[in-house]
Amino acid sequence: MSKSSETQTNPLREGLATRTVPQACSVVIFGATGDLTMRKLIPALYNIAADGELPPAVSVIGFARRKKTDEEFRKEQEESTRKFSRQAVRDEIWNGFAQALFYHPSEFHDAAGYKSLAERLDKIDRERGTGGNRLFYLAVAPDQFESILKNLKEAGLNKAREGSWARVIVEKPFGTDLATARELNAVVHNAFAENQTYRIDHFLGKETAQNILVLRFANSIFEPLWNSRYVDHVQITAAETLGVEGRAGYYEGAGAMRDMVQNHLLQLLCLVAMEAPTDLGADSIRDEKVKVVKSLRRLQPDNIAEDVVRGQYAEGAINGKNVPAYRTEKNVNPESKTETFVALRLRVDNWRWANVPFYVRVGKRLPKSGTEISVHFKGAPLVLFNKEATSLDQNVLVIRIQPDEGISLRMQAKMPGTSFRIEPVKMDFHYGTSFGKASPEAYERLLLDAMSGDATLFARRDEVEEAWAFVDPIENAWAQKENAPPLYDHPAGSWGPEEADELLARDGRAWRRL
Amino acid sequence: MSTETVATGIPVEIGKIDRALKKLWMDNDGVKTRASLINLAIYSEAPGSLSQNTEIISKITENHACRAIVIGADPAAKENRVEAWISAHCHVSGSGSKQVCSEQLSFLLEGPSARLLPNIVFSHLDSDLPFYLWWQEEFHEPMDPQFWAWVDRVIYDSQKWSAFGVQMKRVETAQAEAQQRIILCDLNWTRLYQIRLALAQFFDHPASHRHLREIESIEIDFAPGYRSTALLLTGWLAGQLEWTIAKSSKGNALEFRDESNKTIRVSLNETKGEPISRCVLKCGKIEMRVSHSKTGDLLDVAVGVPGQPGMSQPMPASSNDPTELMKEELMRCGQHRVYLRAMNVVRHLL
Repeated sequence: MSKSSETQTNPLREGLATRTVPQACSVVIFGATGDLTMRKLIPALYNIAADGELPPAVSVIGFARRKKTDEEFRKEQEESTRKFSRQAVRDEIWNGFAQALFYHPSEFHDAAGYKSLAERLDKIDRERGTGGNRLFYLAVAPDQFESILKNLKEAGLNKAREGSWARVIVEKPFGTDLATARELNAVVHNAFAENQTYRIDHFLGKETAQNILVLRFANSIFEPLWNSRYVDHVQITAAETLGVEGRAGYYEGAGAMRDMVQNHLLQLLCLVAMEAPTDLGADSIRDEKVKVVKSLRRLQPDNIAEDVVRGQYAEGAINGKNVPAYRTEKNVNPESKTETFVALRLRVDNWRWANVPFYVRVGKRLPKSGTEISVHFKGAPLVLFNKEATSLDQNVLVIRIQPDEGISLRMQAKMPGTSFRIEPVKMDFHYGTSFGKASPEAYERLLLDAMSGDATLFARRDEVEEAWAFVDPIENAWAQKENAPPLYDHPAGSWGPEEADELLARDGRAWRRL
Repeated sequence: MSTETVATGIPVEIGKIDRALKKLWMDNDGVKTRASLINLAIYSEAPGSLSQNTEIISKITENHACRAIVIGADPAAKENRVEAWISAHCHVSGSGSKQVCSEQLSFLLEGPSARLLPNIVFSHLDSDLPFYLWWQEEFHEPMDPQFWAWVDRVIYDSQKWSAFGVQMKRVETAQAEAQQRIILCDLNWTRLYQIRLALAQFFDHPASHRHLREIESIEIDFAPGYRSTALLLTGWLAGQLEWTIAKSSKGNALEFRDESNKTIRVSLNETKGEPISRCVLKCGKIEMRVSHSKTGDLLDVAVGVPGQPGMSQPMPASSNDPTELMKEELMRCGQHRVYLRAMNVVRHLL
């Protein structure tokens, strides 16, 4: 997106790449023996290398507590990459890639471990030509951030030498409320400036999420209709058939609101509702997204229940198989008040979206999995087709984020025959059908972007804090001991509690059938 | 992606192709989806080209859904003959059990009927989709301006040209008559894509930019018949780095001057193997080397001082197989500004 200096000054790059070029660097992964590293990060880096997009000098240093050698680390990563990689692992590529993998055992709080890390990085710079560029990836729980960042700063690793850079990638959750998000940002900024900080939200690395901007701003037919004059309402759904799947420890403290709405779904809402940016620079896009979050009408503690419905799945069935209630899942409090389902009615108070509700729902153990955005247009005036006094279906534009990424448009057509019967038909575009090539994993794209210095698909501090500022009153209302809005049960395998349907029914609308 | 050709070569009358295509889809069992992003026409006069190109289309459509129009022509035949077939190439999509199908229309044009080419193509294009023409022959005069004006991309392989200058002039004439609308796609250029990428990445780091001015010599090893590919690679480097051709250039020993009048020597060496099996840039003491690995589909990319341990990494190599070259070309679909700059240098080296 934003142009790097390399594309401007290396004339041999002209015409070879339409994206920013990643720079040689050392990628230091904190939490190198964790799940994220094994399942996502190293497989993503391997795939980038196999596609020929990883500069040869890029080196990866795993930083974790357990004692092990470089060779042991390489062996472990090879096994997991063979299991989780998007493309089959080829020995001749892996062997070269593995030589760039190193392991640095240290406690996160041990200053000596960072001093020796700095020395090791200098050595790698000299031997492999990484040019002093460092990318620190915090693939650890947020309670480790402070210790790691403080030690990085004390070892001087947060500052790059002239002509080089140092960046940090922070994994979600970015706090649990506004106060903790601010604390976390302060901790990060104590060591790294905002322009060095990359907050990763893997939803934004998905091809279809990126395509929302292309759909809106590269096609002239949609944008003139993309406002309150023509749009009746917008729905955003993120449904999962899965339950907590071993994440109960985290999920009990987070719930659907913090886990999905505050970050992923508000990000999608921003992409749908934002104004056209002045250019494709990271800050131009993020400026427009922040304006949307700021325009979200804040919900008042007294009437949260009017606009937000929370639910929790009870015993039920998914795909014909019985599944237990949330409260009986392993490591879940039998009296848990954690929401596994949320439905919200949101208002974006600006000129474009005045009086257009945005309905957002997210849930676990729903009948099918899928994430999509649907834009429901206002109906035709029925001047010509009102004789049978039945209303026509609305035009609906659906952007499917996952699975089966694509776009469909519902419109009205006359049924063949002598009578004038009108039926809805669907124009459907599937990525998988039209483009045989598999999309890269979100982490591949995001790692490349971070190495290239392109922060467009990463959340900025003000985006994160504004999102918490919106979510906090809801969480606070739910946390009240008395008069808290109710938590509704719904059977697993249903589309949430009835109250979620009533949220739309009160406005004369209904959830789209996925 | 698994591949199945559900129907190969159902003979049809040319005037009834649309009807036959409709029937083809009506007869399917509902699990097949027809898809098309481009019109891809292939023209060849080689004997047996229809079946060879059908195989190529079958593989191309795994990744690029299209309306394929495959034409086998023999303008020199004495007998007049026109025949047509329809077929479909179906592949199970990566996302599930759905079969995604591309249509193929095949035509055999012999004798005077070969002149029907523009009409045949015009009347069978899928509307509103871009029109790519893969011209597997040399270009002949006269170049029909009305025909070429319809083409969005013309794909050819300059490596097969017998007279490079004449052919290039004809392509450029067609392009001019089409008011610059055609984009020129040379598979000989596509062949160089991964090597160019490997060479370019040596200079990505700001600290490496100075090495561009320090290039003193280049060695390129090319296979018999691929001198034009080696020249195109040379033309790319010279065009992008603004070198001028020195009068002392001769045969395979070429010389260029940079803006400071420094001499850059390029030596082209014919040797058996891949079209370009090795390219070495020497910048002072540093040597940047890109060579084909023994496995063939990877490049060994290395930089360092000769005799001392350096950095090396495998990178993907372009395949010389025409199907793979086409797949790569269709995936990249770049503009041709850099190519034209390289060609302009090559023209003066011939």
